[in-house]
Amino acid sequence: MSEKQALRIENLKKSYPGVKALKGVNVSFNEGEVHGLIGENGAGKSTLIKILAGIVKADTGSFFIRDEEITIRSSKDSSSNGLSFIHQELNLVTYFNAMENIFLGHSYPRRFGPLVDWKALKKRTQKITDTLQVSFPLDRPVSYLSAVDRAMVAIARAFAVDGNVYFMDEPATALTDIEKEKLFSVIKNLKAQGKTVVYVSHNLDDVLQITDRITVMRDGAVVECKKTSEMTKDTLISSMIGKDLESSFPKRLGSPAETLLSVSHLSNSHIRDLSFSLRAGEILGIGGLVGSGRTELLESIFGSRALFSGEMLLEGDSYKPSSPKDAIASGVVLVPEERRKQGLVMSRSIFENISMMSLADLSHGGLLDHQAIKERSHEAGDKVRLKSADYRNHVGTLSGGNQQKVVFAKTVLQQPKVLMLDEPSKGVDVGARFEIYSIIQELAASGTGVIIVSSDFNEVLGLADRIVFIKDGYQTFEKENSDIDQESYLNYCYGRELS
Amino acid sequence: MKQTALDNDKEKRTGAFIRTWGTLIGFLLLMTIFSAIRPDVFPSGRNLKNIIEQVATLSIVASGVTVVMITGDFDLSVGAIASLVGIVTALLMKAGMGTFASILIGLTLGTSAGLLNGLIIAYGGLSAFVGTLATMTAYSGAALLISKGTTVFGLPENFRFLGQGSLGFLPISVIIMLLTLLGIYILLEQTTFGRRLYAIGGNEEASFLSGIRTKQIRFIAFGISGFFASLGGIVLTSRLYSAHPQAGSPFMLNAAAAVFLGMTAFREGEANVWGTLLGVLIMGVMGNGLNILGINTYAQSILTGVIIVLAVLLSSLAKKKA
Repeated sequence: MSEKQALRIENLKKSYPGVKALKGVNVSFNEGEVHGLIGENGAGKSTLIKILAGIVKADTGSFFIRDEEITIRSSKDSSSNGLSFIHQELNLVTYFNAMENIFLGHSYPRRFGPLVDWKALKKRTQKITDTLQVSFPLDRPVSYLSAVDRAMVAIARAFAVDGNVYFMDEPATALTDIEKEKLFSVIKNLKAQGKTVVYVSHNLDDVLQITDRITVMRDGAVVECKKTSEMTKDTLISSMIGKDLESSFPKRLGSPAETLLSVSHLSNSHIRDLSFSLRAGEILGIGGLVGSGRTELLESIFGSRALFSGEMLLEGDSYKPSSPKDAIASGVVLVPEERRKQGLVMSRSIFENISMMSLADLSHGGLLDHQAIKERSHEAGDKVRLKSADYRNHVGTLSGGNQQKVVFAKTVLQQPKVLMLDEPSKGVDVGARFEIYSIIQELAASGTGVIIVSSDFNEVLGLADRIVFIKDGYQTFEKENSDIDQESYLNYCYGRELS
Repeated sequence: MKQTALDNDKEKRTGAFIRTWGTLIGFLLLMTIFSAIRPDVFPSGRNLKNIIEQVATLSIVASGVTVVMITGDFDLSVGAIASLVGIVTALLMKAGMGTFASILIGLTLGTSAGLLNGLIIAYGGLSAFVGTLATMTAYSGAALLISKGTTVFGLPENFRFLGQGSLGFLPISVIIMLLTLLGIYILLEQTTFGRRLYAIGGNEEASFLSGIRTKQIRFIAFGISGFFASLGGIVLTSRLYSAHPQAGSPFMLNAAAAVFLGMTAFREGEANVWGTLLGVLIMGVMGNGLNILGINTYAQSILTGVIIVLAVLLSSLAKKKA
């Protein structure tokens, strides 16, 4: 393949109040290359991409396309220069259908002057879905589509106009293996056409599999750029965090004790007749694919989703939460999947977010006890190793890992009996991930019963003592962790038992 | 793009400064301009006291609206509630009921009307705009029906006290306004209720999942708005010493405008009680100053509209700079 540079970035700098997000980044992407861009959260990848997409303005820096300098002031500049993006957050207009979402912001085909030519639009959309080898309903609002289909719509958006350089920021997070394979074959196609794909992901296996060259960023600078064939997962991790990591998972502490929570015959529109129990100090994994009812199960135990039938016992007493408030009052807490949407109030301070769940304990007769809020928030923050000098800062200014720690601090302050974690390390960098795993282990060791749901099966295998598998809402298997390896885990998720 | 980081930093700090203090500076500028044009009339103690007295009722009502707007809701019905409560209180007093009892019933009625808004919107799921648009229509219909569309005169002498009396040099209406502002400030900044309001305004789903009864809090917020709308309506009735079925209607837009203006001050994009006070004062000073300059009241409305757009525009421009 040619070694021509499709895009070169020189001395790119950007600082936010108190943070230097990019400290003079130099990087180039070649034509016909799949280029991995990795780094911990807060390393500057997202900022780099936002600048290239014209969403954020750089402080200084130059961009060259085939050695010709360009300026990027808006997303229009960006797309007219052939840069195309799949952003980490889906950003779909939920009541628009797939076609309109895909062509959002681009000109629609017209007829009779100003009228939209819907037939032509549909044809163009189908051309895109054909190249992607996917099919999802084109005419229905995307709010009716499954999570996987929505993710594919977001991916299809990048192909609304022909680009030269495709930036994909965590495109596979919500995809199943089948869709992921489709995405990878699209990437290979693009490469064969001499286009450039910049693949950003925390999933190092994916990055190692699909890319030709990998750039590693750390603390707003490029620390390494090498051919993929010269890299391994271990070398990637150590250059991402700047030190060697002994193991991805902390050692198991303590051992489970008596039964804490038992659920029997739980059913509603997403789950069917689920029964299992959780012991104090135990980490229970819920295995299954996206859409199997994992999240809905946690929501049902948390009182945010109604049950049609079934019983729950917490420490031997009947437990019937009708709202999250009831669940929290009983000592059952959920760390939800979507941190920004469900976990945090981004426009408020760290103090306010940490204390949000516990305001009743941190006040006297409705009046806030500012001293107690300060002390207890710092205590909880220290426990989860939250790195922020000033808790008055808005949560929105923190990196993904630190944001997740705020959510953990919020729950730690409650001293929960049962802690449910839905995708606890989603969008969290490798270094902070290890810390979060340690926090989970410590909480379990102190007697908390933990239930964990994750799409990263290594995470479930690395943490859980026992795993309950569900498929299409039905309970399929219940296994001790020691009896499972990666292969059997996946088979159990698909509802198959190996002989 | 060739800027140095230092320039950029400076620019950002200027932006932050304008965002925080710009509206206050604009207000002071407005005061200065009016004082410069009419130094004999505008800055006199008498006139300034007059302005404060004029805005007292509006700031009572707008303080209540602030509470609702923090959660991202809206209340169009405050003007109608103020009118309805004014009429009912006046008629009760005329029918021979004691002044204090009549006021208490008026306040209860207004609070209930607010809670009904909350019921429809928080529990019924209507948008705040549609919900309060409907109740506004109904409440003002009720006020017109009960009063048969006429002004109620002949109120008891001891009722004058609220709107026209003074304690020392401070008019009672201004004391009520100050107590209202202080009360709302404490409610918003020092209580769990206030924290929860701001949390809901920031992210309702996350608040619910954190165990906050989001519907209940929004419901109560509408009740608070209704209470202060009726308090404003009663003070206004006393000030005018008569009740008119549409006396409160200017509150609807003016209160919302004051809160919007206030959202540009002190705290970025968030309703807050001192901002609301500033918004009310800007509107009061504008009205008074333009009157002194002899500008037609209709033209004043146009100018007020322009000022609101400019203020919000400037503060959002300062925001973009950052």
